[in-house]
Amino acid sequence: MTDGEIVVSHLTKHYRRVRAVDDLSFTVRPGRVTGFLGPNGAGKTTTLRMLLNLVTPTAGTATIGGKRYADLADPLRQVGAVLEASSAHRGRTGRNHLRVICAAAGFPARRADQVLELVGLTPAGKRKFKGYSMGMRQRLGIAAAMLGDPQVLVLDEPANGLDPEGIRWMRDLLKRLADDGRTVLVSSHLLSEMQLLADDIVIIAKGKLVTHGSVSDVVDGDGRAHGGQVRVRTPQAEQLAAELAKLDGGEAGAGPPTVTPGEAGVLLVSGVDAATVGAAALRAGVVLHELVAEKPDLERVFLDLTAGKAGIR
Amino acid sequence: MTVTAPSTDPVADPALGRPGPAPLRLVRSEFLKLRTTNGWWLFVLGALVMLVIAILFNWVQADFMFSSATPEGVSAEDAAVIEASRQSVVQAANLYTSGQFFGLMFVMLVAIVIVTSEFHHLTATTTFLTTPRRTAVILAKLCLAILFGAALWLVSLAINLPSTIGILSLYDYSSLLGEWPVQRAILLNLLAYTLWGVLGVGIGVLIRSQIGATIIGAVVYLIGTAAVAILVAVLANGLGWEWVEDAQYAFPSVASGLMVSGTDLPGQPPYWVGALILVGWAVLTGAIGVAITRRRDIS
Repeated sequence: MTDGEIVVSHLTKHYRRVRAVDDLSFTVRPGRVTGFLGPNGAGKTTTLRMLLNLVTPTAGTATIGGKRYADLADPLRQVGAVLEASSAHRGRTGRNHLRVICAAAGFPARRADQVLELVGLTPAGKRKFKGYSMGMRQRLGIAAAMLGDPQVLVLDEPANGLDPEGIRWMRDLLKRLADDGRTVLVSSHLLSEMQLLADDIVIIAKGKLVTHGSVSDVVDGDGRAHGGQVRVRTPQAEQLAAELAKLDGGEAGAGPPTVTPGEAGVLLVSGVDAATVGAAALRAGVVLHELVAEKPDLERVFLDLTAGKAGIR
Repeated sequence: MTVTAPSTDPVADPALGRPGPAPLRLVRSEFLKLRTTNGWWLFVLGALVMLVIAILFNWVQADFMFSSATPEGVSAEDAAVIEASRQSVVQAANLYTSGQFFGLMFVMLVAIVIVTSEFHHLTATTTFLTTPRRTAVILAKLCLAILFGAALWLVSLAINLPSTIGILSLYDYSSLLGEWPVQRAILLNLLAYTLWGVLGVGIGVLIRSQIGATIIGAVVYLIGTAAVAILVAVLANGLGWEWVEDAQYAFPSVASGLMVSGTDLPGQPPYWVGALILVGWAVLTGAIGVAITRRRDIS
């Protein structure tokens, strides 16, 4: 495979009553970590399972490097997936779990030991799966995904059950894999984690695409309409507020910015950027003690974008 | 466990290996799945215990047939059956295939578990990610079930050969291994062991619940056979429906019993009818199993 781009095109899955995934289209580029976000029940897992040929779509296609998963010649050499952390036989050792996969995929058995080493699970390799903690199960899942040294990685909620150190480890590993030029698609509902990890995000709700793009585009672009504001502190708050009220919203013509007084001398200004506020202060001859462009975080944008679309359907 | 950050970048083994022929890889993987769990040897142990009991039971039966005279006062028809059963080849065939009844059940149970454990332990996802061609996976499972059945047949035969030769010598018979009906019974027994493996895989696909499939399989096998026998007796004698005596052979465990009978007893269909019926069941359940697995969503 030369490129490893994931293309989801008009993907749809209807169950008897529920449109789990509804005409969903997006692309995932190699060399970047893409976060796949949505409230519970948004259709994230169903989408990933359709991408991997585990669930048959009602309509639409999902391809990896231009091919459907079912048509890949050696799927494990091209795509590694971690879908359920608890997916190994309880009575089988972690090492044997990997060796079973090696046998089916035609990898030498020593590859199992290599990936155990890679995820730091070597000491537990000969223990049975039922004794594994959630974190160890996640690591085993990642080990299995790395067996074929794939160009594309697909992970469903990999941070579930990991302790902070484990989450840090996972983040570093996934970033490094993306830096290698691999495609990394990670679903999650942990937004703060995604803001640290992801380069691009795809947000879905109720089976439909809400937005997608780079994290900064989504946060800045959609964020301006969703709570981006400038925090300014000055001893002459009233004079500055009066000066700001003269602005007419500039090129957008959106009218004067909204000014909300905060605690002692603080004004929260939305609708203009920090430079405009600074210029206004200069014109009014006002002393500024603080001028900060407060970027909304992903969580805020996410909650605004998916408001009312969460939950049980 | 201590967290150790990976010290090296994920560098794949330069020789990830050249994959062998896919069907062989899959059967090897299925074999590894069975071998790396301990459940299968419990079934083998059960089969061996029942084998010893069956040898003793068949010995008692042979003793009765060899040493007693035809009882007085039975109908001419029954007398003919008893006379036919008295033949030494019939008893030899029965002894050489001792343990069949429970052995077949354990083959079926192992075959069921080969399929259902994938759903019970949620490993179906990993299996079908590794091999998206699901038909190939089910065929590999069928192969393993057949191999397991053949292995259990071989172990049973290894125990039955000396025990039967010993028992026959007590009654001044030779081993009778040169007799075609005896050889045929032993070979058809092999066929039965493999076909019940195929049946088990079919049942496992149809009933995904591990506990449900094994219990239903065992109950239908054990009680179903007795229930069919009782039903046939009631219908044939009570209502005079003679045809049910033939219809009972459509039931798989009755058919496999017929298949391995050493000789054609009066009033029974020939042995190959049993073989055909069992092959039919195996093909049917195997085909349904493949068809269902191909279209089923794994979630």
